[in-house]
Amino acid sequence: MSRLVAVAANTFRETVRERVLYNLVLFALVMTLSGLLLGQLSIRQDEKIIKDIGLAAMELFGTLIAVFIGTGLVSKEIERRSLFPLLAKPLSRGELFLGKFAGLAFTLLVNVAVMTAGLFLTLLATAGRADALLLAAIVPIYLGLLLVVAFAMLFSSLTSSTLAAVFTVGIAVAGRFTDMVRNLSEVAPAAPRWLGPALYAALPNFANFDLKDRVAYGDPVPATVLVWIAVYALAWIGIVLGLGLAAFRTRDFQ
Amino acid sequence: MTKRLALLLLALAAAVPAGQARIEAELGTPTVQQQVLYLWSGGHVKRLFPGFESIAADLYWLRTVQYFGSERRFAREKRFDLLRPLIEITTDLDPRLEIAYRYGAIFLAEPAPEGAGRPREAAEVLEKGVRNNPRSWRLRQDLGFFYYLFLHDPDRASKVLLEAAELPGAAFWLRTMAADILQKGGEREAARKMWQQMYDQSEEGVLRENAKTRLLSLDSLDAADHLTAAVDTYARRFGHRPARLEELKAAGLWNGPIADAARVPFRYDVGTGRVTVSQSSPMWRPQ
Repeated sequence: MSRLVAVAANTFRETVRERVLYNLVLFALVMTLSGLLLGQLSIRQDEKIIKDIGLAAMELFGTLIAVFIGTGLVSKEIERRSLFPLLAKPLSRGELFLGKFAGLAFTLLVNVAVMTAGLFLTLLATAGRADALLLAAIVPIYLGLLLVVAFAMLFSSLTSSTLAAVFTVGIAVAGRFTDMVRNLSEVAPAAPRWLGPALYAALPNFANFDLKDRVAYGDPVPATVLVWIAVYALAWIGIVLGLGLAAFRTRDFQ
Repeated sequence: MTKRLALLLLALAAAVPAGQARIEAELGTPTVQQQVLYLWSGGHVKRLFPGFESIAADLYWLRTVQYFGSERRFAREKRFDLLRPLIEITTDLDPRLEIAYRYGAIFLAEPAPEGAGRPREAAEVLEKGVRNNPRSWRLRQDLGFFYYLFLHDPDRASKVLLEAAELPGAAFWLRTMAADILQKGGEREAARKMWQQMYDQSEEGVLRENAKTRLLSLDSLDAADHLTAAVDTYARRFGHRPARLEELKAAGLWNGPIADAARVPFRYDVGTGRVTVSQSSPMWRPQ
């Protein structure tokens, strides 16, 4: 366990060194400027627009970090051959793989936490109140980001970092079109009837993690919904990490 | 050599504007590139931003406001061609964005040059808003107001206002207003109540300014009616109508200004004795 934590801590330091935190500076700038400008431009929609921008930026920047750093975590170690000295140490492949996941998960947690603080501060400065209900959208966003990291690590255990990034983006985008996938027979009548339901079951539904709209309009989010979203996310993360781990364990790096 | 080159350059420099002028004379003067909307369907835009429809709606709403403002302020022809598609895309992306229906309808309904002068389309926008937000009494209230104020359909307006009154949280006066507008002869008073409500319900900005102008316009119509009555009194007293409205003041029949709320003098027809708001005044509205 301590070895896993050591890998995670090292991964966190490594990702911070990748200048991920520049993203936070950009976020802070976007939020401040939007807060200052939008009240003038949008006719009474400044608070909603700030919430929309804050939540969308959190999801978008988080996904970019999850894809591009997540795919590099394993495959770059392989491409640079820096993996071999690591594997020579008393460290199992499982500990290394899961430790890297935990490290990036922590980086994303810090990112999301700082962005949340930035969003709350902007709302306090412009609207005079920070809406705690926003957390009901932020937690699912974070869970969705963890799932993206899991996919990024699965693909990077199987192929190069470039292809892994392409596949991960593909999954993240396709997972947002699940309404079309589910009703595939209506969109593409020539497709076999079983294909839509099969793809729907095989793809993670990223729309489940999207409560931004509801929260921006102040609609309540029942706790049971959040619990089921967490269960859904953790089940998917478990499956994908399990597959990634299996691929990483069996891969011949020679 | 240098002198010759300089002369040649001068001659060529003179030829450029002359050539341009000839080309423009033949092909016409180039005009400013019209604003372009690349995607006309809300459904298509929605597919481009999966999971980010709300922020896309915000961007389209900002563009709608900017488009309306720039067209109203700077455009020569003030055609507002893109206004309806922009409102449609915004509300397709975020069907709950009430502000887009309410302000969009005002932008569309107000007569040119203040708006697009398309009240039927404005009512359609509000009808869409009511369909997408069946629990919103404000949208239904606005739809009722629009039927009355812009489409001059009191029966339909009254029906919609009664529907609005049934919704939770609805204002208590909606029922009374629904009844009032069905009474003949009280049109201006009903209109005044509606614009007063729009003024009270809106914050500083376009909607409030518009409602204020409308209220001042109704005040100006009242003043014109009172002046017409004063002209009648003058005619009865002196056996002829006054040649100019200023004579009413001299006769002690009028002590207020003989201009409307925008300080534009009223139009006076000596032949009929009618005083009306001048068409050149910002207070003038088609009746």
